Amino acid sequence: MKIVIYRALVLILLLCYSSCTHGGEKVFKKSRLAMDTVVTLTVVSSAEQDAEAAINKAFAEIDRLSKLLDHFSKDSEVTLINRSAGLKPVSVSKETFEVIGKALYVSEKTFGAFDITVGPLMDLWDFREESLPDSAVLKEKLSLVGYRGIILNAAKRTVLLKRKGMAIDLGGIAKGYIADKVVEVLKSNGIKAGIAAMAGDIKAFGRRPDGKPWRIGIKNPRPAGKENGDDIIAAVDLTDTAISTAGDYERYFIKNNVRYHHILDPKTGYPANECRSVSIITADGVYTDGFDNGIFVLGPKRGREVLGKLGLDGIIVDSAGNITFTDAMKGKLELREK
Amino acid sequence: MSSERNKHGVTFADRALLVSLVLLTAYCFVFTKKAMPQGSEVKIEVSGTLLYTLPLSHDRTVTVQGPMGATIVEIHAGKVRVKASPCHNRICVHQGWIDSGAVVCLPNRVLVTITTPGRQGEFDGITG
Repeated sequence: MKIVIYRALVLILLLCYSSCTHGGEKVFKKSRLAMDTVVTLTVVSSAEQDAEAAINKAFAEIDRLSKLLDHFSKDSEVTLINRSAGLKPVSVSKETFEVIGKALYVSEKTFGAFDITVGPLMDLWDFREESLPDSAVLKEKLSLVGYRGIILNAAKRTVLLKRKGMAIDLGGIAKGYIADKVVEVLKSNGIKAGIAAMAGDIKAFGRRPDGKPWRIGIKNPRPAGKENGDDIIAAVDLTDTAISTAGDYERYFIKNNVRYHHILDPKTGYPANECRSVSIITADGVYTDGFDNGIFVLGPKRGREVLGKLGLDGIIVDSAGNITFTDAMKGKLELREK
Repeated sequence: MSSERNKHGVTFADRALLVSLVLLTAYCFVFTKKAMPQGSEVKIEVSGTLLYTLPLSHDRTVTVQGPMGATIVEIHAGKVRVKASPCHNRICVHQGWIDSGAVVCLPNRVLVTITTPGRQGEFDGITG
């Protein structure tokens, strides 16, 4: 009897010990306003101090990169490039050079549907005041749009915009690029798993403490109920992958029953109208962010062709609300009944 | 009668069992407290600085100053909302009451988040 009780005692203590040591890893999350949006960093760590230190370094990297790439900032490298348009090449950091180079790759692959030289067109649209641009002015500015007018010199690491008045706007690609860089910073600070979410541009790495992949919800572009509620149309599980969504509901106004939103067709200067939202999934955030805009502008049919050719995963909600997705998404995507 | 057994009939093994049960109870108490969700908190940040961490369970109204002026945040019945804001389109005000997630006022640099320690929502992130 005594032996049985001793054994029970040892078993209880062992159970307690194993419970204490198991599950030491936790999820730590911090949100902050940056790049004119909400940035949320999630990390898995066994120590809060380590998690916080890594998150703080990642936020410092976001601040550093957004200062280079923000075209609204008076002294960013992008502003300097725009100011020097038609005049002289501008020496830039390797990050600015890299993101512009990748933007040009996306432009090529989307036949110019994604184009960072839409800056002069974007300046004409005021979504806050809900005003349409003057059509004559818009037509005139169209002549300044064209990614082939960006001249990169890799040897000197310079950027030149060919014509005076040209302007680049990295708003359609910078957040995804920064998400990639943030993950690099988190990894170099000992974090094995986490998520860098620059609003809807998300890069996930590693797995949750329970061993499962990270679960990401895709917003319904026409949410039921609350206008800004997180109504989800689909869920997808990710690890070591990025996802971005471009939607016609982020910045928009409705006039005479027409929805005017911020995703402009670089060829017309007006909002592209064949999709409500496009989500892209691939390894790099810089490409999910760039291609979601490009495919949105191309529309569902041509968009799916491009995705198929490049081997990218995508979920497209067309202007009628129909959801289609690439073949590789079958079985990975969990659609929600509406 | 065994020498281990005292006049009440309690052996050493009985005492060991009692001690182990007391230890187990104490452990379960501590573990449960640590593992189970604690009360939700409302965090209010302005321009990246955390100004308030408040329990969601206590009703109150807080005014914070952003670059555009005063934003009023109200906590009531386990929910929170931006009651008033000096921003132009007042998306933050129109978002209404929330019991999870966040309300953001980008123009006035105000971020209101609800956090529940230990509670994992269905999604780790939302795109769109």
